[in-house]
Amino acid sequence: MSKPTLLLIDDEERILRSLRMLFFMSYNVRMTTDPYEAIRILREEKVHVVISDQRMPVMQGSELLRIARETSPASMRILLTGYSDLNASIASVNEGEVFRYLLKPWSVEDVKSVVAEAAAIAEASFAVQSVFAEHKAVENIRPRVLIMDHEEATVNTVREILGDRCELVWAHNAQLAMEELAKQDVSVVISDLMLGDTNVAYILKTIKQLNPQTQCIVVTSFNDTSRLIELINQAQISRYLPKPVSKNILARNLESMLERFHALRNQPAMQKRQTVAPISNHQERLQSGNFLGMINRLRARIAV
Amino acid sequence: MRNGNTPTKGIFAREILALVNPIEAVPPELTVAEVAELFLNPAYAKVLSLPVVESGRPIGVISRYRFMGMYLKQYARELHGKRAIRNYINEHPLLVELDQPLAEAALYVAQNMQFPLTEDFIITRRGKYLGIGFVMDLLKAMEARMRANTDELNNAYSRLKSSQLALVQSEKMASLGQMVAGVAHEINTPLGYVQNNVAIGQDLFMQVRVVIAGYEALVDNLLNGQASDDQIAEQIQQISEMRADFNAQEMLGEMQGLMTDSLYGIGQISELVMNLKNFSRMDAAASDTVNLNDCIESALNIGRNVLKNKVEVVKELADLPKFTCSPSQLNQVFLNLFTNAAQAMEETGRLHIRTWHADEALHISVADNGKGISPENLTRIFDPFFTTKPVGEGTGLGLAISQQIIQQHGGEIQVESRIGEGTTFHIRLPVAAVERQEPLAMTV
Ligand SMILES: Nc1ncnc2c1ncn2[C@@H]1O[C@H](COP(=O)(O)OP(=O)(O)O)[C@@H](O)[C@H]1O
Ligand SMILES: [Mg+2]
Repeated sequence: MSKPTLLLIDDEERILRSLRMLFFMSYNVRMTTDPYEAIRILREEKVHVVISDQRMPVMQGSELLRIARETSPASMRILLTGYSDLNASIASVNEGEVFRYLLKPWSVEDVKSVVAEAAAIAEASFAVQSVFAEHKAVENIRPRVLIMDHEEATVNTVREILGDRCELVWAHNAQLAMEELAKQDVSVVISDLMLGDTNVAYILKTIKQLNPQTQCIVVTSFNDTSRLIELINQAQISRYLPKPVSKNILARNLESMLERFHALRNQPAMQKRQTVAPISNHQERLQSGNFLGMINRLRARIAV
Repeated sequence: MRNGNTPTKGIFAREILALVNPIEAVPPELTVAEVAELFLNPAYAKVLSLPVVESGRPIGVISRYRFMGMYLKQYARELHGKRAIRNYINEHPLLVELDQPLAEAALYVAQNMQFPLTEDFIITRRGKYLGIGFVMDLLKAMEARMRANTDELNNAYSRLKSSQLALVQSEKMASLGQMVAGVAHEINTPLGYVQNNVAIGQDLFMQVRVVIAGYEALVDNLLNGQASDDQIAEQIQQISEMRADFNAQEMLGEMQGLMTDSLYGIGQISELVMNLKNFSRMDAAASDTVNLNDCIESALNIGRNVLKNKVEVVKELADLPKFTCSPSQLNQVFLNLFTNAAQAMEETGRLHIRTWHADEALHISVADNGKGISPENLTRIFDPFFTTKPVGEGTGLGLAISQQIIQQHGGEIQVESRIGEGTTFHIRLPVAAVERQEPLAMTV
């Protein structure tokens, strides 16, 4: 089997040379300092994994990855950046839909394993891509939308958008949210980062383990870049929308996430694209473990 | 009480009231001899003059001084003793109204009193006699008041100073905050490849060791002649396999390139760290003799990330004489001017920095071709907290502080701007460094 292709973009050539040395044994490495050249390569060649810098003179990495998404949807996208500013991080979720948001300097082992994982997922995506593209999503179930927010305003906005096309569930505290998630599959979760004074990141980071198809939209007034980066890597949230969010923007994103949920139901191979990284925070790992334990007990009881 | 008096007048009244000595007034009909008796009364020992009052209103004073002058003459007692005092008074006494402001009263008394001081002043309430006041008391009250004012002023001054310090610090933090973003990026990039290269080098080193061990074993066997041909053939086989999946020559060649890169990266990191250190070290030196061009370079270095990829910097730096100043503060001024210029550019732009030496002053001009400043804003840009930038981006303190720093250096900063064309700041710093009475307050 031929080696998977890795495309590297950074305005610092030394980064490119260094990474090439790390990967050339196992990958076919393509690299450039010019984002436009990268776009050309994406159009003409089969690229498994794209790794891009964020800050570049002619184009931001998140923008390049957005174009990559359209040009070569099966390729996996990774951002590798020296400094995380909030806008870049938000753009990398909402537009770049990155698989991982990595920081320089990186750990050699982490980067290697992330790239290997991404390459395997891309290979699987290429295999089903043709089917995926033709397959018109059939809405054969009534979607269930969970709102994790203590503000009722959010619920009302969602209700206005969705009417009774979906089953709406409102959880205004963490306990309720966990119960609702345990009870039944959820298509889309719309969540703030804090419910009352509980940080619900651990719930969001557990969702993909309950159901990899569930799409997560974070709507929050929190502006914390490092938390957002964690949510990208460890929860694979699909959207990050700053509060207050306009009804139009929420509607647009909600529609596309419902669509994605259906698409993923019909094409399980694509679910892997949102594989999450292990939870890094010790406390959250424990909380997530407890949550999963609770669900398993609950499901066992139901099964009996 | 004092009907119609405003509250402020009430306060003034209390000041004058404290000066009132309600001594009994002298009626004009009292004889000179009787008044002489009064002056001898120990109760009036402190009194310089006695008020003469007719139906409640003061009509004059008779001073001890005048009295004695008159009495010293021969037969004065016989000549004048029986006559009414009315004929001997000074009909233009010093008159102070109860609700007059203290300062006004003091000024009036000071301007009209006579030397040597021979008379007290008369205090009236709406023209009616109330008592007399001693000039010394009035002056003392005035002095106390001045002292209180000065204390208050001093307090206000030190409060202001410390809040100004906080402001300077917050502006500095804000600009540092923006810079940290840039510097972190600048450091993390070389750190990224240096670290990666070292890790690769370590890996490669291990592999090379295994290969060398293989060669050495082979050479040993060939030399001591103990090994069988089969053994040697097997070793050769192993080595050629290793060579097949590990091309040491090529890898070492690549590695050499990575080492060069790494050294370059480490150089970059050291340079950045040194810049940061210089920047903060200069903070410590309140005053130092430096070349202003170096300050400009230092600020450009620190602000590099704000400017990079966006601003083309054109420098025309003339030879400048050494200049005694607070380099950290001037750095802050320059950094702010550069950042402002970069922020005024939509996409890209040009920053033109010139220095020259003329008229016993150093001149720095910082010109950009950014969006410019409207005439109505132009008058306000040096005001503290005036900003047109979104929260988090602008503090509105940069120019206010810059102006203050320049003024404390005895210089001035001026601006010219045209909407759509650009903005030029011009700084003039006199070389004959003005002796500053106190060290600059704003060193942080
Ligand atoms: N070079 C420039 N070009 C255009 N506008 C400028 C420039 N420098 C300063 N200004 C204007 O002056 C305002 C005040 O500047 P400053 O005191 O440095 O505060 P801040 O940069 O935090 O807003 C800025 O908000 C901007 O509107
Ligand atoms: Mg400024």
